[in-house]
Amino acid sequence: MTTDSKYAEKISLFISRSNISTEINKTGTWRYVRPKYHEKTAPCSAACPAGEDIARIEMLLYQGRYQDAVETILLENPFPSICGRVCFHPCEAVCNRAGFDDSVAIHALERFIGDIAIRDELTLKLKKFPENGKSVCIVGAGPSGLAAGYFLSLLGYTCDIYEARSEPGGILRWGIPRYRLPDDVVASEIERIKKTGVKIICNTPVTQDFLENAKKRYHAIFIGCGHGRSLKMNIPGENMAVDGLEFLNLLCKGNVVSSNGTAAVIGGGNTAIDVARSLVRLGTTTTLVYRRRKQDMPAFKAEVEMAEKEGVRIVELYSPLKISEDNGEYILSLQKMKTSGMVTDRDRARVVPDGQSTQHLRFHKIIVAIGAEPSAPWQFPSRKNDETLYLSHCTFTVSDPPVLFGGDLTNTVKSVTDAVASGKQAAMSLDVFLKEGRHIIKDRLNSCLVGNGPALSMECYLEKKRWVRNPHIVSYSDINLDYFSQTLRVESESLAINKRMNSFDEIEKTFTIIQAMEETRRCFNCGICNACDNCRIFCPEIAVILKGAKRQINLDYCKGCGICVFECPRSAMDLEEEL
Amino acid sequence: MKHVLEGSHAVSEAVRLAKVQVMSAYPITPQTHIVEALSEYCSDGTMNARFLCVESEHSAMAAVIGASSAGVRTFTATSSQGLALMHELLHWTSAARLPIVMAEVNRALAPGWNIWMDQTDSLAQRDTGWIQLYCEDGQEVFDTTLQAYRLAETVNLPVMVVLDAFFLSHTFEPVDIPDQKLVDRFLPPFSPRIALDTSDPFAMGQMAPPNVYMEMRYDIQKAMEQVPDIFAKVEEEFMEIFGRTYGMMEKIFCDDAKIILIITGTAASTCRKVISDLRSQGEKVGMIKLKMFRPFPTDLIRKHLIQAQKIAVIDRNFSFGASGIFAQEIRAALYNNHVHPPVFGYITGLGGRDVTPEILTEIYWNTKNSIVPENESMWVGLTDG
Repeated sequence: MTTDSKYAEKISLFISRSNISTEINKTGTWRYVRPKYHEKTAPCSAACPAGEDIARIEMLLYQGRYQDAVETILLENPFPSICGRVCFHPCEAVCNRAGFDDSVAIHALERFIGDIAIRDELTLKLKKFPENGKSVCIVGAGPSGLAAGYFLSLLGYTCDIYEARSEPGGILRWGIPRYRLPDDVVASEIERIKKTGVKIICNTPVTQDFLENAKKRYHAIFIGCGHGRSLKMNIPGENMAVDGLEFLNLLCKGNVVSSNGTAAVIGGGNTAIDVARSLVRLGTTTTLVYRRRKQDMPAFKAEVEMAEKEGVRIVELYSPLKISEDNGEYILSLQKMKTSGMVTDRDRARVVPDGQSTQHLRFHKIIVAIGAEPSAPWQFPSRKNDETLYLSHCTFTVSDPPVLFGGDLTNTVKSVTDAVASGKQAAMSLDVFLKEGRHIIKDRLNSCLVGNGPALSMECYLEKKRWVRNPHIVSYSDINLDYFSQTLRVESESLAINKRMNSFDEIEKTFTIIQAMEETRRCFNCGICNACDNCRIFCPEIAVILKGAKRQINLDYCKGCGICVFECPRSAMDLEEEL
Repeated sequence: MKHVLEGSHAVSEAVRLAKVQVMSAYPITPQTHIVEALSEYCSDGTMNARFLCVESEHSAMAAVIGASSAGVRTFTATSSQGLALMHELLHWTSAARLPIVMAEVNRALAPGWNIWMDQTDSLAQRDTGWIQLYCEDGQEVFDTTLQAYRLAETVNLPVMVVLDAFFLSHTFEPVDIPDQKLVDRFLPPFSPRIALDTSDPFAMGQMAPPNVYMEMRYDIQKAMEQVPDIFAKVEEEFMEIFGRTYGMMEKIFCDDAKIILIITGTAASTCRKVISDLRSQGEKVGMIKLKMFRPFPTDLIRKHLIQAQKIAVIDRNFSFGASGIFAQEIRAALYNNHVHPPVFGYITGLGGRDVTPEILTEIYWNTKNSIVPENESMWVGLTDG
């Protein structure tokens, strides 16, 4: 050591070295393209009927910012706990992660956040608009009516919701069985809506007279009463069958205790599946009869699969001919059907009778759930008025006062989340109408589309952060996969099949915090900056500067090399040409 | 304690004991075994070091340039095409005065893809400002790697430790691997004379206009000129601790030799046997094993060669349009001397071909039986066609 340093001292080390800053060399003058932080739209959020900002919600959850995550959801959907349970989650079908390993369990994470919000009583801390003195009459306390009331009240309206039944919730309370959606979840989320100032008046069936009277007292009417009347099969002996909606209704009231023996459920929609799965839980051997093929059922695919797993037998391509009674049992006569080419109607196969082939099945009970329709003429939007706006999730009739129709009355897809979309669209269009007039409604709504729509964002409507987002939907090829490794999707714990047989206990459990963290970190956070800092770390000119939590490009030195944009794992940056 | 080790792993062990802090390399046969062992040492915690994976040799050298500029001990290794790809940064390393040590496994250049022994790759880098040390066996390459750090860190110049493809890199020999304590005594932690420091930022390697550039180059040469003395000191200390020494060159039977063979690398071992056989036949023959090529030990060459009547240089390399590179350098070293015996340049063993005792014996007799060289370079063992 000493010998070396003695020698080293004799070795001159004349190299170029400068303590003067190189900042004099403004490398920014070399630039002809400039990087830009520009958040884009995640495919999940565009597919969500409620337009939830999912990529951001997952980021907030991963960062442990529960309050922010809850608020981000509640700005778009008042029912995270409910939708996390019952939504058919189209978001997961388009998740970019599916191309890599498996889609993110978005529904389970939404439910986790929703349950946290209930547990910790987290609410939207948005500064409510001052009451504007305008009041809205809402018909039906189902999901669309509740959502309309919720969003309108955020915008400063006074809302009265009239409900025929003894408790609010509509399909949430009286239709969806408890193994999918427990009562207390529904009650808690409705309670939160009430706290925004919405008034719910129960035991008040709305009639045409009531409505005419209401038109004089309110500045607008929203009708979201749903389909109250079941469709008829128009076959002999139909009166011997039980109505599916009525059955579920009684079940929710607690008036059906057990039902031994055998039952046939006729239909292929979600109501039919709910009835069949409920019957299984009551101890009934259940057969589902559907006139088309299984894959043509309008029920959500996952529900059909679960029903089969739980023991529901599905008889496809049989159409009911008649019901007759024999010794206290019922004989269901069925006509064999066959497919006859594909039709455009939601890709369902058209079916025609297959010769004279029939079948006669014996049951203790027959329940019909082939669909429903509005129960009174006033529940149909008026078609006379040229001024009527047919929007994606509601119909806006311009009269004095304006009357809006939403929920199942107008929605193509009859789901809870579409009902929320309906309430939101109604609230936004009514607000535009009352403030700026009819002519501007479409333009204003278009500026709030998530991606290319049809989902709308309340956050955009209020011109908050999301307002400036690029509608471009991030594709799989936009993701820099080098920054991700394959991991298994976390599945929530569920009740064993044999334990479901005589229990209406909820099937799926909410994620534990560990499961939620593990799953939410799988999210690519498509199109949004999650502060991973790659842009700053990789910038060769140290031209990305951190100001508080915000990153900025120092254009004096940015050469426009594009490394930051390339290394952004989630396409939250763009390179644009300079003129 | 002696271990039976592959030549490549003798290098790896030396790097481990030198407590190198940052390594970066790109795999290439026949070098890969060296860094393979080191990457395992980094991942399993045997070494407290970072191994940076890169996409090319150019980047490997760039990575260690960065690390060395920050004042840590670094290592890389390469061969043939990989070394050629590094070329730009080899100049940078020496001009930035970074004491990087690199193991370079002599391998032939393509095309005519050939992974075997050939010295043209390292000799083609002779003007890059790197110190070059050629090794004969596993023990020497282990010892030289440790010495290289002492040398490099004293003169602030990079050192290339050169070993023959397969004949050394893939041959297992007994190698004495000393305890860490002994190595620590010989090689203390690196204390850089200059190192980047984020708390006191400065820039290195920027513009050097005509008024200073030439002085910087002169400075590198002044440092190079100090190398023989410092290497001698380093070897002295090494001898004290480990009991082994090599010298910049080793002379055998040179004092009364009429003909001296000059040779490098593993072929020196073959040559030792050949001249001992020739001596027993009464031939006045000697040999010089040249270890240090840069800086070129001109003074020693002059001192040891002038009493010879003829000199035969064995080159396993070739500079096209000129001659064997060692022969060129020796001719140049002798030219300004008052006596300069004729230099016979022999080209043999290119692309991994064996340099056998018969070939070396033939070279000796050819030299003895010729008054002057027939050609500037004589290619030995060429087959027809």
